[in-house]
Amino acid sequence: MAETAAGGKPLSWRLIDGVDRLVAAAWPRGLHGMNGYLFLLPAVALVFILVIGLGYMVEFSLHELDLATYRLKEAYSLTNYQTFFERPVYIRVLWRSLLAAAIVTLITLVLAFPYAYLMVRTTSAATRKFLLVALFLPFFIGQVVRAYGWLIILGKEGLLNSIVTGIGLPPLDLIYNYPAVILGLVQYMLPFAVLLLTPAVAAIGEDIELASESLGATWIGTFRHVVIPMAKPGIIGAGIVVFTLTLTDFAMPEILGGGTSDFIANAIYDSYFQISNIGLGSALSIVLTLVGSALVALMLMIAGTGTLGFAERKS
Amino acid sequence: MVEIRDVSKAFGDVLAVDDASLALPKGEFLTILGPSGCGKTTLLRMIAGFIRPNAGEILINGAAVDNVPPYRRSIGMVFQRLALFPHMTAAQNVAYPLKMRGFDPVTIPDRVSEYLRLVRLDGFEKRRPQELSGGQQQRVAIARALSFSPDLLLLDEPLSALDKKLREEMQLEFRRIQQELGVTTINVTHDQREALVMSDQIVVMSEGRIQQSDSPEAVYRAPSNRFVANFIGLTAMFKGAVEVSGDGGILVRVGDTALKARAQGELGNGTAVDCALRAEQVRILDDPANGDATAFENVVTGEVRQRIFEGDRMVYEISVPALADAVLFAFDHDPLHHAEHRPQSQVKLGWNARDFFAFPSDRT
Repeated sequence: MAETAAGGKPLSWRLIDGVDRLVAAAWPRGLHGMNGYLFLLPAVALVFILVIGLGYMVEFSLHELDLATYRLKEAYSLTNYQTFFERPVYIRVLWRSLLAAAIVTLITLVLAFPYAYLMVRTTSAATRKFLLVALFLPFFIGQVVRAYGWLIILGKEGLLNSIVTGIGLPPLDLIYNYPAVILGLVQYMLPFAVLLLTPAVAAIGEDIELASESLGATWIGTFRHVVIPMAKPGIIGAGIVVFTLTLTDFAMPEILGGGTSDFIANAIYDSYFQISNIGLGSALSIVLTLVGSALVALMLMIAGTGTLGFAERKS
Repeated sequence: MVEIRDVSKAFGDVLAVDDASLALPKGEFLTILGPSGCGKTTLLRMIAGFIRPNAGEILINGAAVDNVPPYRRSIGMVFQRLALFPHMTAAQNVAYPLKMRGFDPVTIPDRVSEYLRLVRLDGFEKRRPQELSGGQQQRVAIARALSFSPDLLLLDEPLSALDKKLREEMQLEFRRIQQELGVTTINVTHDQREALVMSDQIVVMSEGRIQQSDSPEAVYRAPSNRFVANFIGLTAMFKGAVEVSGDGGILVRVGDTALKARAQGELGNGTAVDCALRAEQVRILDDPANGDATAFENVVTGEVRQRIFEGDRMVYEISVPALADAVLFAFDHDPLHHAEHRPQSQVKLGWNARDFFAFPSDRT
């Protein structure tokens, strides 16, 4: 240890003492109880900025577009919301988005659960590594790139159709329709769902499953009565993430839907940038935010507050 | 009731259980005792049906169960980490096997309260496992394993996580419940005290092999080999060679001294032996009321190396120059009422040949 003459303390100790004194002067001991909150500040700031943006959107949505000047009128009105409810196309787009969100959530969870389960339970290190790499690889490829990838495979002159026409059949219409959008979204959401389900499955000890088996349950019974209920927090969490991401998705319906299967995000984009109606675009955004929030709140209410891991812990 | 015939199980190159056989009559309590990694848990899991043996046969009620999956065996098991279902209440946990095994739903609530009463948990039906204490969780686990009246109860070290006082209380509690129901039980543990306290029969295992299978008294009083003698009790081991072998006793040379010993097995002159001596058989002759040197067949002088005060007794660790500096242990059961022996002080020790086991040196 590096001993120095002054006081016999190592230099590094004295340096740290100095830093401690400076910190004590700037942030008195009495405030240490608030240390935890200090770390919350960036997150709070971020949310606050979002709320400001949302406030502006509410304001925009309450003004009708003046077609003479292409500016929003000064007067407050509910015209934009009226437009949303009166034009069947918007209701249809919202319904289509909601239906897609529900379907994608269901399919994704059904596919992701066995994946997560196998990844946790496999005794082979090689299998686990393969599954992990396969899980993370898609994250390196953006959503737009992946959508174009599907175009290359499923397009009119894509890989699949070249095989179909090669054996003398007429080409199939595999893209620019609703199922193609669903397919693209499921593929996009799968890694998120697996990632959220894995800790939930890992938390179920293998002994619990063996216990269930020794108590008389077949593997189906064990799955139904033990594994699924115990993984519920993860399932709800994954479901909410997939549902909201799908509901608000833009790229997949844009690229794989080709205008036939617009989601509400596409309608918002069109309002802002195609018909330059900031008021209507804002109104659609507010509707989407409200519907999405309401559904998430409903899901949490049905599933119970304990599901996200806030379970009451008594010792 | 339970019979295991020449069962072996290997994981890769490691032979976890090597040609194990045992038999357990109905209603008895058997403990498989051994250090961690000795294969006892593997053997238990083969009986439960979670692991299939590579060789040999397991019979329950006279029928081979090789092809019977765990959920169709009539076996209740209490796991090391209990494995209670955290999303169910105590009552739901106990009801689970009844539902899964197709009991008449009308009878289930009565059975559940009957078994919760048996483990003295009436009034706790609606609590979830995390709202119960460690001992109460044990009780739920055992009620759950017994509620469907299994033929056999398996205990996979369920008490090992408890603190000493609670563990000793639960040992007696498990024994009481087992005797009340008369359920045949196989327990697995590394805790010799637990094995001695709870069992009708003890099976000592080491390195995948069964070393001895006997009543608790016999395992303690007449260990069949070096491992058992060393594993159970506070035992000192000496290396030596047989000098004179006779009918009743033998003389074993340890270091510079010839000691009278009791031969375990055929030991001819010159055989290398390991001798085992339990601490409670050694008397410190300097202490009053321990008799004098004439009362003991073997008497040596040693030097105190360490003394460990345990409250109800003092444990002395003593090295003996005349026995090639071998270390042995001795108890003083009344440490409060006479002077203690300080480290480095000399003490005279005596013990008898019948408590001094000589085993052939190469491991059996």
